[in-house]
Order: sequence, then C-alpha cells, then structure tokens
Amino acid sequence: MTEFETLAQLTVIATVPYLLASLGTMLGGLAGVFSVSQEGVMVLGASVGFLVSYGVGSNTVGILCAAGVGAVFGLVLGWATTSLRLDQFVIGLALFFAATGLAGLLFRVVVGQSGAQPLIETLPRLEIPLLSEIPVLGTVLFSNNLLVYFAALVAVGLYFFLYRTRAGLDLRAVGENPKAADSLGIPVARTRIWTATAGGALMAVAGAYLPMVYTGTFTEGIVGGRGWLAIALTFFGGWRPQFIAAGALFFAAMDVIALRAEVGNVAIPSQVLLVVPYVATLLVMIFAFRWARVPAFLGRNYDRESRTA
Amino acid sequence: MSTPTVPVQTDAPPVPLHGGLRLLRNLVPYVLALVLAFLVSGVVMAVLGYDAVGAFTTILSTSFKTTFGFTETLTKWVTVVLLALAFTIPLAVGRFNIGGEGQLLVGGTAAAGVGIVYADLPAALLLPMVLLAGVLAGLVWAGIAALLMSRFGVNEILSTVLLNFVSFQVLDYAATEVWADPAAGVAATQTVGESAELPVLGGPPGVHAGILLAVAVSLASIVVTRRTAAGFELRAAGTNPRAAAINGIRVGRVAVVALVVGGALAGLAGAIEVSGVHGRAIEGMQANYLLLGIIVGLIARGNALWVPVVAFGISILEVGASSMQRTVGVPAEMVLIIEALILIFLLLSDVIAGRIARRAVA
Repeated sequence: MTEFETLAQLTVIATVPYLLASLGTMLGGLAGVFSVSQEGVMVLGASVGFLVSYGVGSNTVGILCAAGVGAVFGLVLGWATTSLRLDQFVIGLALFFAATGLAGLLFRVVVGQSGAQPLIETLPRLEIPLLSEIPVLGTVLFSNNLLVYFAALVAVGLYFFLYRTRAGLDLRAVGENPKAADSLGIPVARTRIWTATAGGALMAVAGAYLPMVYTGTFTEGIVGGRGWLAIALTFFGGWRPQFIAAGALFFAAMDVIALRAEVGNVAIPSQVLLVVPYVATLLVMIFAFRWARVPAFLGRNYDRESRTA
Repeated sequence: MSTPTVPVQTDAPPVPLHGGLRLLRNLVPYVLALVLAFLVSGVVMAVLGYDAVGAFTTILSTSFKTTFGFTETLTKWVTVVLLALAFTIPLAVGRFNIGGEGQLLVGGTAAAGVGIVYADLPAALLLPMVLLAGVLAGLVWAGIAALLMSRFGVNEILSTVLLNFVSFQVLDYAATEVWADPAAGVAATQTVGESAELPVLGGPPGVHAGILLAVAVSLASIVVTRRTAAGFELRAAGTNPRAAAINGIRVGRVAVVALVVGGALAGLAGAIEVSGVHGRAIEGMQANYLLLGIIVGLIARGNALWVPVVAFGISILEVGASSMQRTVGVPAEMVLIIEALILIFLLLSDVIAGRIARRAVA
C-alpha cells in the first residue's frame, strides 16, 4: 500500500464514529429534539459494546446491545422532551452524566478493579468482491470493516429518506413548524420520539465502534470528545446528511494528518498540529453559520395547546 | 438556533406564596429527589451485590469523620463552586458555558507561568499577580467564544467545547516545552515560587486561602444577581429576551459579559488549583470539575443563592466516592449516577409539581 492509500484508508476508518454520531444528532434535530448527551451515550455504547462482545464473544451482538442501550437513552430524551416538556439541554446534560457514570460502573462491575485489561477481537476487514480489486479506490473504500459500510449506507439511506420520500418531508416539517405539521395530521410527538430513539442508537453504535476497531478494549477516555465534536459537525454540515458526511471526512482527515505529522517528526510542535482540527472547525463555523440552515424548531418543545409557539 | 429559555422551568403558573410556605414548596422537590436518587441507586447497588448501606454511610460520613476529610471537602468545594458559577452566570442569560475546564486549564497555565517566571518577587506582589493571570487567561479564553457568538453567531456550546480541546494542548505545550519538569513523573510544569503559593488557614492539614476568595465570589454573585441593576438585566435578558430588548437592555452585550465573567471565574479556579493545591500546573488537573460545575448549576436551578449549598453537597459526595471505592468496593462511578439521578428526579418533581399546581388553579 502506498503512503497515500494508507492515509486515505485511515481517514475512512476514522470517519465512521463522527459520521454515525452526527447522523444520530441530525435525525433527532430535524424533528426538533436537540441531544447534548452524545459524549455520554457514546461512552456507554463503547462500554456496553465492549463488555457484551467480551462476554458473548460476538462483536455483532455487542453492537446490537450497544444500539439497544443507546436507543433507550434516546427514548428517554424523546419522551422527556415531548410528554414532559423538560428543557432539552438540561435533560440532555442529565442523561450525559447518567450515561457516563453507567458506562464506567458497568465496566468496573463486570471486569472488576483488577489491573488486567481484557481484550476483544477487533472487527475484521471485509473485502467486497470485485469492487475491492479496483486500484487505490478498492483498498481505500471497499476493503474495510462492516461498520464502515453500515455508516455509508445509513448516510445514503437517510439522504433518500429525508429528501426523496413523503415520510422524510413530514419528519422535517415537524422540526420546522410542528404546529403546521400537527394540523396536517402528522404525529408530532411520535415523530420526535422515534427520531430521538434512532438517533441515540446511532450514537451508541458510534461509541461501540471505538473499542471494536481501534483499541480492542474499553478505557474511560476512549471517546475523547468525539461526542461533543459530533454536535459541532452537525451544525457544520447544516443538518444535511451529505454535508455531514463531507464534514466527517474532513474531521477524520485532520485527525489522521495531525497524528501522522506528530509521529513523522515535523519541525512544528506537536501541540500545534493537534490543535488544528479544533481551530479549523472554529474557523469554518464562522463562515458556516452564515449559510447553515438549522431546523427552525431545534431545541424547543412543542405544546399543542400553546397559542404562542 | 433558538435561545433556550431559563432552565428547569415548568409551565406551571406561579402561585404566590409567602415566606416559609414558599421555602417549603421549594424544598419538597429537593428532598424528594434526594430520597428517590438514593433509593434507586441503593437498589442498583444491592442488585449488583454491594453493601448499599455501607456505601451510603461511607459517602456521607467521610467528610465529617476526620479533619483530613473535611479539609479535602472544603478544598474541593472551592473549585466546584467557582466552576458552578462559571456555568450558572451565563446560564442566567440562556447561554451554556461548557468550556469551564478549558478556562480552568488556561487560567492554571497562566498562573503557573507567572509563578515560575517571577518566582523571586515577594508574596504580597506575586500572589495577586498569579491569581490575576489566571482570571485574565480564563476571561480571554471565554472571550474568544463570546466574540464568536456575538460577531458571527457561532453557538457558544460548540465554541466553548472546542476551546477545551485547544486548552489541553496549551497546557501540554507549557508542561513539556516551556516550563517542563522532567522530574515530576507526570506531565507538569515546574513548581511555582514559594511566594506564589496561597497561605494555608488553620490545620494541619488546613485549607488554602482560596476558600476566602471562593466565599467572597459566591457572596458577590448572590448580591449582584439579586440586588443590582446589572443582575436584573442579566435575569431579564434570560427570562424574556424580547421584553428585555424592548426595555433597552442590550441582550447581546449582557450575554457576552456573562460568558466572559464565567470564564474569569473558571480561570480563577485554575489559578487557585495551581497556587493552593498543586503548586504547579499538572495535565489532568481539571479532573471532572466541568461535569460537577454543570451538575451543581443545574441542581441549583441556576440560582446563585443555592449554588454554594449544592456545591458543598456535591463535594461531600465526591470526597466520599473514592473512600467508598476503597472500603466498600463500590466503583466511584456510582456517585456520578447518584448525582445524575438527583438531577433527573428534580426535573421530574418539577413536572409533577406543575401538574398539581395547575389542578389547584383549575
């Protein structure tokens, strides 16, 4: 593999957690439910995914269990912000704390407080027949782990669902103007709850990806702020799957380049390189916020009986 | 994105109550939330096969059994209360400062820098300089986010979070390149001059004098938010931005000032950590203070009067957590779950209180 191919493949691999977590954020957000518990749900997904894989011996079961736990957190967020109409940021932060605590607790309870670090198999590389034979593109795109393909499918699927189907239009209407959507008979509460639930599941899978692809084990700092970055990325991508995918690639490329340069003895202090993704994001935000469309009802709760909203 | 309304508000119509009755009504949800949180977490611990009663006893008694435990709690309280105010003050205008740890770290780094470079100055001069350096650094750090927010409309949650990641590298640069101390064993700067260290009150073991600053800041923020025009503008801009703007309050500017003041307090916390606790800036010294600050701010419902009290309670839990892990074997993470449960039950009790109030009115 050439240097370029290696870097490109590392970038593709690093894209997945950003992409899945941001798509999850986007899905809930397009119906008006703004989650801020990504970081916690991802840590929990990593913990549950790792522990189940470790116990059962199957990564697939681990991923599914992580998704299930993430869905529960998304469901609670959706329910608390529709039926109870709690402030989205406050309950989101509360769920972030709960998920973070639960992740650490589960790991300690199952693994114990011993020094020995259990390991799981990382996800194998699946070469897609024929396509993986294509020079350069084949190695970069078509010989990756299962979740890379899954993330790509989710992104493409969501794009078509949201922008090419009636149900997708209805969903976006809920996040733009729930009162109008409600008057057309679109089930506002149900839409908000299921999108938040599915979003939570995607975030948890993004978390489960980390031990299964990178480390083979769980550590408390494993998510390392990717959850918070996913929020930034969702804004950055203007709440649309295609731009979010592009943004995720950009974030991932920044990560890979910074790490490479650090290893590769470049004459700049490594700290400067490691800061680049964050500063670049801030700079892009300055411009992105001028054109980025944000769902009009994002972060607000819908009260059918209210006369003002 | 819409400006979030003042947090933890219910849609219940406010029922006018007086004195003791109002206090009682405010206290009931807290008591309920505490009891339920302990009940649920106790059941969880019992199911997992731990000694729940022993765990709670340890958590709640560690701070009061020994002088050491109590001073540890007070020391923790100083940083927690400052970080909680750093979160709460911007929250009053509906802004979320998730950058407390970044502001703490740059504050600590700046304080350590001044304390190292001017180590020979007398304490009367150096100590204020060190603390001021922390305050200014935190102020600038939050100021970046405030500028991006007011000039370019960049969401402050995002900018403050992103700046946290930048701050890790700022400290790392100081601790590995500028004032590295290879003998420290961890990534840390050299120690600050002796005259840059906060004096210790009482003891041994004693509490560093930063606690006086934290008390002063807490009192000041209570007075300012409740008894001054600036505090009124702050609350007005948060409760109803439109009405505030119509009445001549420059809402945007209030938000900027609130965010910057929050950053300054977090920076002060960093300086106090350096000159009162560690004597140097250490990577990872932010611990989980950001989280604790947010939890305290939310449990206190953004009320400056409650913040110091809640911060003390959370400090007790945190100090108890590690001793619980040592003696009863329950992982310290359990305490984070208890704290989250307190917050969640508090939110739920608001909903219930709202429904009861509405029924009473109807």
